[in-house]
Amino acid sequence: MNRFLTISLTLFLFLFVYIGCKKPYNPPEISVDNKFLVFDGSLVNSADSPSVITLSRTVKLTDTTQAFYPETGAAVSVEDSTGGNYVFLETPNGMYKSPPLSLNPADKYRLKITTSSGDQYASDYVEMLQTPPIDTLLWQQQKDVSIYLNTYDPSKQVKYYRWDYVETWQNRAPLESELGVENGLIYYVSNRPLDQKYNCWSTDYSTDLLLGSSVALSDAVINKFPLAVVPQNSVKINIRYSILVKQYAITEKAYQYFQILKKNTENLGSIFDAQPTQLIGNIHSVKNPSEVVLGYFTASSVQQNRIFISKDEVNNWNYVYTGRGCDVTTIEQNPANYLLYNYPDTGFSAYYFSGTTGLTLARVSCLDCTLQGGTNQKPAYW
Amino acid sequence: MLGTSRFIVSLCGLILFFFSANAQETKFSGKFYDLKFPQFVQQIEGKSAFHFYYDESTLDTFTLNVTLTDESINDALNKIFGNTIFHFSIDPLNHVFITKNKSMQTALAADFFTPENSNAPPGESQNEQVIKEKSRPGFVENKLFEIGSKSASKKNKAVITGFVKDIKNGEALPGASIYLDSVFTGIVTDQFGYYSLTVNPGIHTLEVNSLGMKEALRHIIVYNDGKINVEMKDDIPSLKNVMVTAERRSNIRSTQMGIDRLSVKVIKEVPVVFGEADILRVVLTLPGVTSVGEASSGFNVRGGSADQNLILFDDATIYNPSHLLGFFSAFNTDVIKNVELYKSVIPVKYGGRLSSVLDVNVKDGNDKKISGSGGVGLLTSKFTLEGPIKKDKTSFILGARTTYSNWILKAVPNLAYSNSSASFYDANIHISHTINSKNNLYLTGYLSNDNFRFDLDTTYKYGNKNAILKWKHIFNNKFYGLVSAGIDHYQYNVTSNSNPVNSYKLTYDINQTNFKADFTYRLDNKQSLNFGLNSIYYKLHPGGLLPYNSQSLVKADVLQSEQALESAAYLGYEYNITDNLSINAGARYSIYNYLGPHETYNYVPGLPKDASTITDTAHYPGGKIIKTYQSPEYRISLRYILPNDASIKLGYNTLTQYIHQLSNTISISPTDIWKLSDAYIRPEKGEQYSVGFYKNFNSNNIETSVEFYYKRLNNMIDFKSGASILLNHHIETDIINSKGKAYGAELFLKKLSGKLNGWLSYTYSRTLIKTDDPLAGESINKGAYYPTSYDKPHAVNFISNYKFSHRLSMSVNVVYSTGRPITLPIGVFYSNGAQRLVYSDRNAYRIPDYFRTDISVNLDGNHKIRQTFHNSWSFGIYNVTARKNVYSAYFVSQAGFVKGYQLSIFGTAIPFISYNFKF
Repeated sequence: MNRFLTISLTLFLFLFVYIGCKKPYNPPEISVDNKFLVFDGSLVNSADSPSVITLSRTVKLTDTTQAFYPETGAAVSVEDSTGGNYVFLETPNGMYKSPPLSLNPADKYRLKITTSSGDQYASDYVEMLQTPPIDTLLWQQQKDVSIYLNTYDPSKQVKYYRWDYVETWQNRAPLESELGVENGLIYYVSNRPLDQKYNCWSTDYSTDLLLGSSVALSDAVINKFPLAVVPQNSVKINIRYSILVKQYAITEKAYQYFQILKKNTENLGSIFDAQPTQLIGNIHSVKNPSEVVLGYFTASSVQQNRIFISKDEVNNWNYVYTGRGCDVTTIEQNPANYLLYNYPDTGFSAYYFSGTTGLTLARVSCLDCTLQGGTNQKPAYW
Repeated sequence: MLGTSRFIVSLCGLILFFFSANAQETKFSGKFYDLKFPQFVQQIEGKSAFHFYYDESTLDTFTLNVTLTDESINDALNKIFGNTIFHFSIDPLNHVFITKNKSMQTALAADFFTPENSNAPPGESQNEQVIKEKSRPGFVENKLFEIGSKSASKKNKAVITGFVKDIKNGEALPGASIYLDSVFTGIVTDQFGYYSLTVNPGIHTLEVNSLGMKEALRHIIVYNDGKINVEMKDDIPSLKNVMVTAERRSNIRSTQMGIDRLSVKVIKEVPVVFGEADILRVVLTLPGVTSVGEASSGFNVRGGSADQNLILFDDATIYNPSHLLGFFSAFNTDVIKNVELYKSVIPVKYGGRLSSVLDVNVKDGNDKKISGSGGVGLLTSKFTLEGPIKKDKTSFILGARTTYSNWILKAVPNLAYSNSSASFYDANIHISHTINSKNNLYLTGYLSNDNFRFDLDTTYKYGNKNAILKWKHIFNNKFYGLVSAGIDHYQYNVTSNSNPVNSYKLTYDINQTNFKADFTYRLDNKQSLNFGLNSIYYKLHPGGLLPYNSQSLVKADVLQSEQALESAAYLGYEYNITDNLSINAGARYSIYNYLGPHETYNYVPGLPKDASTITDTAHYPGGKIIKTYQSPEYRISLRYILPNDASIKLGYNTLTQYIHQLSNTISISPTDIWKLSDAYIRPEKGEQYSVGFYKNFNSNNIETSVEFYYKRLNNMIDFKSGASILLNHHIETDIINSKGKAYGAELFLKKLSGKLNGWLSYTYSRTLIKTDDPLAGESINKGAYYPTSYDKPHAVNFISNYKFSHRLSMSVNVVYSTGRPITLPIGVFYSNGAQRLVYSDRNAYRIPDYFRTDISVNLDGNHKIRQTFHNSWSFGIYNVTARKNVYSAYFVSQAGFVKGYQLSIFGTAIPFISYNFKF
């Protein structure tokens, strides 16, 4: 309910932004470097997927050279209330991973961190929540395509949720090449289907904090929660699109923390905005309890659901390829010619053999879909 | 012509001999070259008993070139004005009148020595002298009026009473100052224009000054108790006089301090955005008044929060004084007489708010004839009608205003806005009825409504409804009272129905019933008492969320209603100890009962209040007292007059507030709620020390003052991080008590008359708060003092009006203030897939300074007196320099990256035009 209020007020206020104006703002004052410890991630109770935790440090707002400052060399583990200990192993970029863990939902868990400089941090003990399954994912088109979620907790225990999602979509190179080039040798794609560069699958991750609550409703129902929007004519539904949504149950306190985090970053800008508030998470320095530590440690099982949307299911969808033109040229079949043609710029690649003596070339950007991002390996679920 | 004036002069000479033998013999010498007339007058007034009266705008450029050698005033003035269009006359009291083209009659009335009703028996009706000013202004001013019956038994002291009214429409003039023999008596007319004065029998001059009116002078001979009503003339432009006038010298003489009075005329001259005259915008230009920004309905007085202002519309409490989220004030200037803002020692009859009282007084309807006025602006139109129901007995005034702001929304090329709508209206009625000379009845009604909707989804509505009935009774010349009863209502609701499953209606309302009895008893000329009782019964419905229709799954969630009774008794005493020293002291005792029916949570004692520390619920039946608070309040002010039109004043007051606005947004938003003090939320308390120096220059035409204050506020309400205010069943768990302090200095310079008039003020002020709540569980900025979001140390306001002619004037405003504090992000981090921000301590930084200039040109139609329809135009530009004043700065994570933006509300020059008419 609160969300509706905020959205509407923001809408209205943008009217006054229109009358008034909005300009970029970068005051000089905000250059203090605090380097607070930041925790991101959660403990996932799952027999098949690992838990991933990221540790980093805050950077100055004005620091454009390094936006992410990973905290490496820390010892990270999770402890249960009966003394069991689960160690996380360091991977690059401040990521720490556990093996898939099947945990007792009746137990309580806490996070322990010892940084490379020897500072110790611990979270409060948190409950292991049971996430109910996602009821349905649905979508509607009104120019743009909006994706919604319905969920329902039959046990009526879970009232707060967090979601994230992964979008995957198929994209194609403008030209389908018969030939591939590897180490200066031409091969037929039909002989090596895994090396095709015509069909690709790109992936994007959610960047907004998606939070929902059924606390104001008489039933434990989340109805038509808006998860994502695909703008009209986006490349994402040029062929086929898929979204995988993961649902996590969270506690009321965690919900409040994420709400503040969200409000502090995503919702500001109207004249009735709440004051930015202090983020108080559940992770503390053992030695100095007043030290600022950002992040909220949560633990739950995870539920997921996936839907597909094909281009023939949407209306008025006209993706326009905006890359360089795809004009082609034909050269004689002879390696020297090919190398010469591509010298000094390797922008061209083999397209097809024309007749017995000719080789038709086209720009690589027109032949290789991986250059638009994504992988040329078809995902298992596709 | 010359002969006539010589004759008068000689007659004066005779009388002068009789009254004051010395003044007429004063001789003047000196060389006066290239000297402006006003400077000459100053010199003469400094050396002699003569006092000059002249029209400033015609004579302030008149230059003297004359040598005087031991010459009498007559000879001197003959030399000066001999060959000019100016004439002079001198009356028995050494008043020198300079007039253009014609000389003035200063002769006393012929019946001076033979009063006409000398044989009349004593009795109220016979004692009454009701004077109507006729078309010749000199007539009443020079007549000698008899007060009381000559034949009645003589007393040592006589009491004079009466009403001061506007001659044009019979409207009472409150706040007019009464001077006796050119000395301020300390007596000011009450809200009904009534005054009472004790004098020694004999000959006196009675002088009345009132805001926007021409000074009125009455010569009286007092035999006994009696009445004299004074009708004052409007200071209309055709007299080429001042537009901004105040009760001259009253700023120095009155014991009150920290008070600002604005006449509606001044308010209308100040250029405002969209051209709609606006009380609150002008109040914001006064020293000591700030706001968080241009789009905020609240204002902050001397460091108090916006809910600490008591806003009274003819004694009815207005909870939301603004339309359209703060872009317009909810008061129609056409039905308003004047506005008073008390920001220091608040009179003892007011209570219940910590920072100020904004008293908006409604005009009485014209009791002589039906008349009306109206205006058409870019966004609003208004119409007012007034007139007698029964001539000289009962009159009414009706006003209405509405907007057509929808066109602006439609003009925005974005579907979300063109599907939105915004509208408001307000309406007022005021009826005054004279039962007899001792009893008057007044009825006031007020209604306002706002309605706006976004993109066919959420509709917001809010409005005030008020009604008040007042009865004034005069017991005798020294004692009168005012009894009133009224109801005040404020409500808002929000509905949303785009998604049937989530559609809801959210409601909120405040109802208050109040009763007031206020009495004034004037012991004698030097002492008076003000005492009374008042009582307010509150009933609040602090919020209800209801499903909008049967499909909706929204769970009905209705907070319990809240009830309370606030009662107070007060006594104020004013004593003019000597001519120079006077004191005004008062005490007010308030008792507050929070009443059932209510269910209140109990918490584990000694632990932070939290949902997890609730032990049980206490049930209180209807009418049961749940919690009682009581509090004595004190108000003291002292005034000492210094030589040369100067004075010093000291003040101290304490206040208590039992109803609080809960808002954790930067400015007031339409869904903010008010909360009564209860078992956990203690009343807010405030105290203020103030001292002021006042000095007038240039024959009281220029007023200057410096005021200093120091203020302490306790039990202010702040919120824990992430507090939810809406539909919170245990709001006490989200509240942190804070403590505030505020101090500052206010410099004020005001020019009252002449072609150029207006004011310049500079304010230095700080306002700081700190968390003061060991049981809150958390503290903001580690419990240190930090600035509030309306803390603006330096503020300069310049408001001016220049008259080119009777019909053409130009107004210029210049406003500067330090940027308000904000909380800035001090670091970036990655979390949940995007860059996020970590913020500094609350209010650790400031937005850029605020600066704005507005210009308007006012063009009046002709002033032909017989013309039935008068019209005027006003053109102007708001924010001429088009400076993009920053309202707020914010940082948004967009596509995973943090970007900073600054938001301006009126980031461009906004031209406006409005048309007004009167008939």
